[in-house]
Amino acid sequence: MSSSSVSETGGPNFVRPNFPVKSSARSHRNQAIMVSLLIGCALVTLGTTVGIIYMLIKESMGFFAGDDINLWEFLTGTKWSVGRTQGKFDYGIWPLLSGTLRITAIAMILALPLGLVTAIYLSEYAPKSVRAILKPTLEILAGIPTVVLGFFAVKFITPNLLAPLGEFKTFNATAAGIAVGILCIPLVASLAEDALRAVPRTLREGAYGLGSTKLETTLKVIVPAALSGIISAFLLAVARAIGETMVVALAAGSSPTFTMDPRGPSQTMTGFIVHTFQSESVVPGTPGYYSIYAVAALLFLITFGITLIGQIVRMRYREEYN
Amino acid sequence: MKDEPKMDNVATPKKTHGMLKPKRPTLSQRNDASPEKNEQKLAIRLEDFNAYYGEFQAIKNINLDIMARQVTAFIGPSGCGKSTLLKWINRMNDIVPSAWAKGSIRMGDLEILKKQTDVVSLRRRVGMVFQKPNPFPKSIFDNVAFGPRLHFKIGKQDLAALVEWSLRKAAVWDEVKDRLHKSALGLSGGQQQRLCIARAIATGPEVLLMDEPCSALDPASTARVEDLVYELREQYTIVMVTHNMQQASRCSDRTAFFFEGEIVEEGETEQLFTRPKHQKTEDYVSGKFG
Amino acid sequence: MANDYYSNPKKESGRKLKSNVFAMVCLVISSLAVVILITLLATIFISGGSWLNWEFLSGVHKEDNPEGSGIGQAVLGSALICLLCASVAIPIGIGTAIFLEEFQPRNKILRSLHGLVQLNISNLAGVPSIVYGILGLTTFVYLFNLVPSIQVNKPIPWEVGATHFYQTKTLGRTFVKFPAGDREETSIKLTQNEMCVDADGNTFELKLVDKRSEAPKDPELKKGYALRGRSASRLTERSPWYFHLPLGKSLLSAALTLALVILPIVIISSQEAIRAVPRSIREAAFGMGATRWQVVRKTVLPAATPGIMTGAILSMSRAIGEAAPVLAVMGGVLGTTSGIKSLMDQTPVLPVTIYRWAGDENAGFENASSAAIIVLLGVLLIMNSIAILLRNRYEKKLS
Ligand SMILES: Nc1ncnc2c1ncn2[C@@H]1O[C@H](COP(=O)(O)OP(=O)(O)OP(=O)(O)O)[C@@H](O)[C@H]1O
Ligand SMILES: [Mg+2]
Repeated sequence: MSSSSVSETGGPNFVRPNFPVKSSARSHRNQAIMVSLLIGCALVTLGTTVGIIYMLIKESMGFFAGDDINLWEFLTGTKWSVGRTQGKFDYGIWPLLSGTLRITAIAMILALPLGLVTAIYLSEYAPKSVRAILKPTLEILAGIPTVVLGFFAVKFITPNLLAPLGEFKTFNATAAGIAVGILCIPLVASLAEDALRAVPRTLREGAYGLGSTKLETTLKVIVPAALSGIISAFLLAVARAIGETMVVALAAGSSPTFTMDPRGPSQTMTGFIVHTFQSESVVPGTPGYYSIYAVAALLFLITFGITLIGQIVRMRYREEYN
Repeated sequence: MKDEPKMDNVATPKKTHGMLKPKRPTLSQRNDASPEKNEQKLAIRLEDFNAYYGEFQAIKNINLDIMARQVTAFIGPSGCGKSTLLKWINRMNDIVPSAWAKGSIRMGDLEILKKQTDVVSLRRRVGMVFQKPNPFPKSIFDNVAFGPRLHFKIGKQDLAALVEWSLRKAAVWDEVKDRLHKSALGLSGGQQQRLCIARAIATGPEVLLMDEPCSALDPASTARVEDLVYELREQYTIVMVTHNMQQASRCSDRTAFFFEGEIVEEGETEQLFTRPKHQKTEDYVSGKFG
Repeated sequence: MANDYYSNPKKESGRKLKSNVFAMVCLVISSLAVVILITLLATIFISGGSWLNWEFLSGVHKEDNPEGSGIGQAVLGSALICLLCASVAIPIGIGTAIFLEEFQPRNKILRSLHGLVQLNISNLAGVPSIVYGILGLTTFVYLFNLVPSIQVNKPIPWEVGATHFYQTKTLGRTFVKFPAGDREETSIKLTQNEMCVDADGNTFELKLVDKRSEAPKDPELKKGYALRGRSASRLTERSPWYFHLPLGKSLLSAALTLALVILPIVIISSQEAIRAVPRSIREAAFGMGATRWQVVRKTVLPAATPGIMTGAILSMSRAIGEAAPVLAVMGGVLGTTSGIKSLMDQTPVLPVTIYRWAGDENAGFENASSAAIIVLLGVLLIMNSIAILLRNRYEKKLS
């Protein structure tokens, strides 16, 4: 065996010493302990959902169990005065719901086109230098606490942008809607950009190969191909806007109104909840306390539904390309 | 300190490039040189072995003996189940949810396929080297020490000696001894693969499974790994999957030719490559398909 | 701008022009985000920049006195709540992410649990934070009303770490206290001699007398006597680990609620970090005989740590900026007189302070609010920079 004895590997006589082997029982036991801990962790999130649903159902029932209160009136009524009047009160959700819808609509008019165009620009056009500014800007914008945007709406948007345009109240739906829109722009932009980027290169190359300009490729090939992803981005943004709290609590005012006028105050569902908490008049067992849960249940139902649809659409498009 | 590797056995390391080395003795020459090698011991016996992924049967009724201290090469066209079989020998397929198997794979007294078989100690005894070098993103030392730390009660000094032994055995010691505590990801592909071999033998396996260990390497690194396999067969039972006919004929003692989940022919490498019994084998080794 | 080399030469110029105009329009619209950000920062700095000084950073809220108010307590409260929240959410989040990514069970029940948890998490991320606030109020503050809620002047249903005393005044005009025992009234009348502790920590028996004249004349000795029938008021001393159930409107409730808010974010970012670890590394560890947990513990987690840390810090910065859940759970506290003594205390936090000040009728608080916003944004900036630095450093180390 001359060839191996000169080798750097030491040859067959260069044997490995033996060491006492650890029992594997311990590893298996540790593993079992860890798995049960991990399952425990995973159950926390399930518990959260179950807790939310249980709580909302149970306490809302407390609301509807009250004298002269019925679900139909809650869902169709156009007057809301819970917690404002002694004794009898109106509890039609529409003033709050319409406030939410008004502000969401304004926010989406701003955020959807802006976010989508930004996404298109980022994924198809932006040269590195612009991207290096735009991306971090969007990230910072996305990280700004919503209470700050609420402040911005009251102290800047209303007096400086809206006041010259007409008779806007100090607290109004438009300012709140714009601020909510601002916080939705980064969300739409990043989700839509993901969707656009997920479109396979081959599709792009195919379009260019047929002689399309960049504009034609983008609008006729890439955007349609990414449509389900873009729609899901829109849906998630809508859910976000509906659930947005601090901006509307600060900027939209605290009177529930059932109108189409975007210049006046409009309390939303989330705004009502915060204002009620803030007044510190939430005593368990009172209608004011229970009404929070009834409003929150509706809010949860709407946002959960929209998010769920958004997620399903998103999964669809992910499957399409992966 | 009686467990210290006997470093004094190390002959002065001579830097030999694989390509320049004199041709290795063929199997028959080797057997002549050391007659005791002729009594082959059985390492692993597969009986009526079938492997499935869900409904799909990847391996059909295989019977095969793998001899101790020999290199057994698995060859065959892509998708014929070589990797699948290899992964069943140390139960790596356990991590594939859809994989299941029937039949028997015995190693000594141990029935590998039995559910109760402790895969932890099985994999200590049956090491694996993968197609792409896959060092951990840790230091070179920690890479090799990974297995021993898992399996042995071992002190710091012993561990350092064992790491050195493994790296020497895998013929990378000279290249890495000055950078043991640097990241293993800084090594070249060939060095990484030899590091992976060192890592596999550090746990003291009896069997070494290699799934196309050279397919991601350049010719020079390939030659070094081939040299290494040749060296290691003195102490280990090696099963190697390869798509390279020259490699199979260069470094294996026995070869099994797989086709569509079955073994078409199995025998001594020389015989299989020069006088195949089946037409399919002849077509494959002569490069007519695959 | 990229050129289209394959266009039809006839229409080429017009189509190309359109394409370039569109690109310009895109650029203009996209830069709106930059304009918005700059406007926002400018507004806030103009209004609050000059208010930043040490008095403001260390002070406390003062009613109707914006110039004298500060955010010392709020900063401390935010930091404490954020740390507590992180120490709950991050381990649970990482644990869940590991379970989802690394432990794909064969068992049918566990597998359906798996799918359910995964679907659930992406939906939880979309639940408005105010709903979490209500959940926190119901579970942590009121404990589903399973036990009577905490009310002023009523004994707390279940507590540890609190010692109750009654305090009274001796004839020597010193204050002494004695253990409350089983008595629960807020105020009692002295009827018997009590073993008392005085301000210096000496224990002695307080003797009761019916008239002042019955006590000794010596002012020192008078300190051992009190009038029978004199009232003693209840006094509770709380240790730093004071704890009670339900948690009530406390900073612990707020931290746990915020933990639920950021949990989905921690999980999703940890999952991404874990998923980014190459399969081959796992295979190598399995092949060496590591158990699944060892594979995770020794190879996957170390490799995923930078990504996980980055996600964790970003989610903490989300928690620091959240106002709605805190408002729901702790109410809009602006300041406390005694500061934070235990986890059961209330505390102001930065976002709530900003909210309350912004809505205050006294216009001076508008500037204070901007100044607080500057501080909050500064903290967020620091946290995000740390996240980025961490990531870069680990990335360098690994390659
Ligand atoms: N995880 C899996 N799930 C389902 N089917 C699989 C899986 N892994 C392999 N297969 C199938 O099993 C068959 C055998 O695969 P295997 O990887 O063993 O082939 P191979 O001989 O190693 O091929 P190659 O030479 O390309 O590596 C193939 O048809 C393959 O598609
Ligand atoms: Mg293979």
